Amino acid sequence: MKIAVSADGPDLESEVGQRFGTSKYFIIFDKETLAFESIPNPGASSDSGSGVQAIILVVGKKVDTVLTGYCSPTAMGHLTKNGIKIVTGVDGNVYDAVKRYKESELKHIKETDHKSDSWTSENNRAAIAGAFKSSARQFVNILPTLAGVVLLIGLFNALMSKELLSLVFSGNAFFDTLWGACFGSIFAGNPVNSYVIGGELLKYGISLFAVTAVIVAWVTVGLVQMPAEISALGRKFAVVRNVVSFFMSIAVAGATVLVFNSIRW
Amino acid sequence: MNKEKSKSITWKKRTIRLILFPVLMLIVYGFLFAVLPEKAIAAFKSSGKVFLNITIPLGFVFILLVIFNLFLNPAHIVKLFGKKSGIKGIILSSTAGIISMGPVYAWYPLLRELRKKGAANYLMAIFINSRAVKPFLLPVMISYFGVRYVIVLTVVTVTGTIVAGYITGVLSGD
Repeated sequence: MKIAVSADGPDLESEVGQRFGTSKYFIIFDKETLAFESIPNPGASSDSGSGVQAIILVVGKKVDTVLTGYCSPTAMGHLTKNGIKIVTGVDGNVYDAVKRYKESELKHIKETDHKSDSWTSENNRAAIAGAFKSSARQFVNILPTLAGVVLLIGLFNALMSKELLSLVFSGNAFFDTLWGACFGSIFAGNPVNSYVIGGELLKYGISLFAVTAVIVAWVTVGLVQMPAEISALGRKFAVVRNVVSFFMSIAVAGATVLVFNSIRW
Repeated sequence: MNKEKSKSITWKKRTIRLILFPVLMLIVYGFLFAVLPEKAIAAFKSSGKVFLNITIPLGFVFILLVIFNLFLNPAHIVKLFGKKSGIKGIILSSTAGIISMGPVYAWYPLLRELRKKGAANYLMAIFINSRAVKPFLLPVMISYFGVRYVIVLTVVTVTGTIVAGYITGVLSGD
């Protein structure tokens, strides 16, 4: 269930837009979780046909209820035909408007229900059930990818060996650090494994730069769990975060070893 | 009628997208089993171990999700983790990342929900990166590398994660 509120700005503190067709933004809420997204109204700047563009946007987003200041009878007719409920005369800031609407809806349920004495506890129970339901939904969405990531980690653990790793490091501090960051980025799992591998690599004479890069990149960069990160937080965020963290692991490795070597106590 | 039809098509598409990756992994396992059966079994066992390791943190994260859904509304999230939360937001997300347990992917559902409710990108990045500092594992790290190294690494890492988080925020459109 979705509620769209016409708004003058993109955030929750913005005022409710007073004209449905020409409001600058629509803020669309999930009725249960109140998660929201702000969408600029393509019709905000056009003089004619603005109402049509706003209707297309709201219908396309599968909205169930629209909250706004004023809506023309024509637009109202189109929205109603698409099964959308319109509430006019709404003002104040966007978030308060949605909260007021949800409360008035609950009140309406209470009024129509004659057994209203246990309303508060029923309301609490409904809120807890709602929270469980949306948490379960969020979980189910992420579980298949998570299962894939776990299977991928198993493959890596079985096919790679410490000996194979130590073959790759040549002794050149710069390239070893780069390789360290690469290996740390590919591998995942409990960081304690990176300490064990790091300790083993040191024994093979591999530089502390490379070992530090492995340890830092192990946690901060995750190629294996990238599909899960993309599905949870979006492709752009996941790619940017991992690339930046890759370079950060090299910088942290360099700074740590330089500071470590220059401080004595 | 049309609305129902398009809903069911979207649902089908989403389901296919969701199960594509795990199914692909199972196919890879099938191939590996045909070529190197003992490696496939070892990989499967290793996956089982990883799965057992994440069940407790996942349960913990589920409880946190329920509590968050129950008590935290978008206005709270924007105040605590929003773009204008300032130094408090940085300290909060950094501390939360450091003390968070279990693998990062167990935290994705919670991060996804926080972000949907208005949390800023750079604070999400700081949370994920700060997980490089593991207070519970420090004794193991010290036993391998010594106290001096661990102190220096911890201080440099915390600073690095905040800088990297900030850059991530700028580049990902905060």
